[in-house]
Amino acid sequence: MSKKERISSTLELQGVSRHFGSVKALDGLDLTVQPGELVALLGPSGCGKTTALRIVAGLEVATSGELLVNGSRYNDTPASQRDMGMVFQSYSLFPNLTVAENIEYGLRARKVDSEKRGKRVKAMLELVDLAVKAKSYPHQLSGGQQQRVALARALAIEPRVLLLDEPLSALDAQVRGQIREEIRRIQLELGITTLFVTHDQEEAMAISDRVGVMSHGKLEQIDTPIALYNSPATPFVASFVGQANRIPAQITAKGKARVLNQKVNISESAGSFEEGDHVHVIIRPELLEIVSESDTDATRGIVALKSFLGPMTKIGIAVEGGPLIHLNIASREVRKIEIGDKIAFKISSDEVMAARV
Amino acid sequence: MKRLSLKWPLIVISSALAFIIFVVPLYGASVYSFKGMGGKGHSWVNYQWLIHADGFYPSLFTSLKLAVLAGILNLLLMVPTMVYLNLKGQRFKPFVDFLCILPLIIPVVSLAIGAQVAMPEFLQNTEYELVFFFVIIALPYTYRALDTSLQTVALKTLVEASRSLGASWTRTIIRVIVPAIRSGITGALFLTFALSIGEYTITSLLHWETFPTWTVVAAQQNILGAIAISVFSFVGAIVLLTAIALFSKKRVQRVEVEA
Repeated sequence: MSKKERISSTLELQGVSRHFGSVKALDGLDLTVQPGELVALLGPSGCGKTTALRIVAGLEVATSGELLVNGSRYNDTPASQRDMGMVFQSYSLFPNLTVAENIEYGLRARKVDSEKRGKRVKAMLELVDLAVKAKSYPHQLSGGQQQRVALARALAIEPRVLLLDEPLSALDAQVRGQIREEIRRIQLELGITTLFVTHDQEEAMAISDRVGVMSHGKLEQIDTPIALYNSPATPFVASFVGQANRIPAQITAKGKARVLNQKVNISESAGSFEEGDHVHVIIRPELLEIVSESDTDATRGIVALKSFLGPMTKIGIAVEGGPLIHLNIASREVRKIEIGDKIAFKISSDEVMAARV
Repeated sequence: MKRLSLKWPLIVISSALAFIIFVVPLYGASVYSFKGMGGKGHSWVNYQWLIHADGFYPSLFTSLKLAVLAGILNLLLMVPTMVYLNLKGQRFKPFVDFLCILPLIIPVVSLAIGAQVAMPEFLQNTEYELVFFFVIIALPYTYRALDTSLQTVALKTLVEASRSLGASWTRTIIRVIVPAIRSGITGALFLTFALSIGEYTITSLLHWETFPTWTVVAAQQNILGAIAISVFSFVGAIVLLTAIALFSKKRVQRVEVEA
């Protein structure tokens, strides 16, 4: 098998489940990662994303379902023979080995000859820009450097698939951003099929070709980050991805609802509701706009919260008989608004997502 | 008002106690071990008697040989067992812990007679049966030394990282786990070695001659020689302890983490 074929594999999970007693950690997961694609599995703790990754790595056994790499069944292949490069949240570098020896470890296990090992280690050190640290031990490196070594170690074996298990969680915010970009750069440079597990939606959205949102062991939706954000398929995705207001509303006719004294259209993907049903509509903060108080169609409230977030400022509006409504306004436009001010706003979207109460 | 510090009085009292309990008897024994013929003058005569005494070298060699074998066998048995218990067999840990404590509970006489009957006949007829007894009596200590060491490392993720890189279980244990728990292994090895080389009761009950049993017999012939044996054993133990401690602390020089 050529290097290019090895590094651009198709990964398929077909109806993969994992049960721990009566608990369904993973419930019939179907997922295909195309060659060279970076797919993130995103979800809250306990949604099954790490279990899915561990099944792919061979560190967990699927209760049912098929795991295929380039069409070959991998269910019964031991972890040591899967050719999957894995990067762990806690780095998991071998403390007794130097940086170079850590990177070389997988090659030695594969009995690669000394000359090839040397060249490969050198190439990997250059790839992660750590050539000067080749002889250092893990305890002599910062967290970010350790994670780059872990990435180099995983890539040194030319894996069929690269698996990233929350690789940025243990890093501080600034380093996290750098390593995130570095992972994407290297992934694109090598064209390696990558499955990335995270609970951080910003991370997932920033570097993934597609993001799969998981809940209760199931894949709720998988799509490009933009599509996921703009067209969530389920109320859970709408709430979990990005910020969203959940506002009580009532269905007035098929596909229509009244919320905050305004009329809105309900997205078809939200499901079918009967007239008179009480629902929650899910509206993103940027889909609400401040209007003149003289606008008779607007909803009125009092500014109860003003939170500076850099380029944007988050405004919380208390409305009579409703929850606190959040809006994001460009910080340069928000100077005149103070807590306690009366304010009017409208829903600017043609269509909103709704969920049963 | 300035509070009185207890630091210095405590140091002085503990140093005085250590001196009285530890140094004075050792000094006394050393002085006596260098007494000349008939207890007069100073000479090496007692040490010369010791190294020329019948059975000194064979018994010492036997003890060292059995202690080394017991140490190796103990590690071969306990390292994989403890790794398994900490990795996958957590539910068996209380049971194995109980089993390992049994040598402290069962009287040595019962252990010696009972366990010997259970051994295959070819072992019963050789001094190597003592190796198995030494392993058994060291179990309570090696279990704890290895368990404590294993709990200080991220065993599961290290193993998973090694396995995902294509390493076999043998390679994972030798290249990753053993170096990570080297202090625990050294401790277990030293404890087994020390217990084995000083074990008297079982050896005596089973009628084998090792250095401790030879010492008892030899001491009855020459009281000053017996003191020389004690000092020799003590110094030997110190040398071994220091050697093992130095080995376990042999580390690559640390460099400060760069900012």
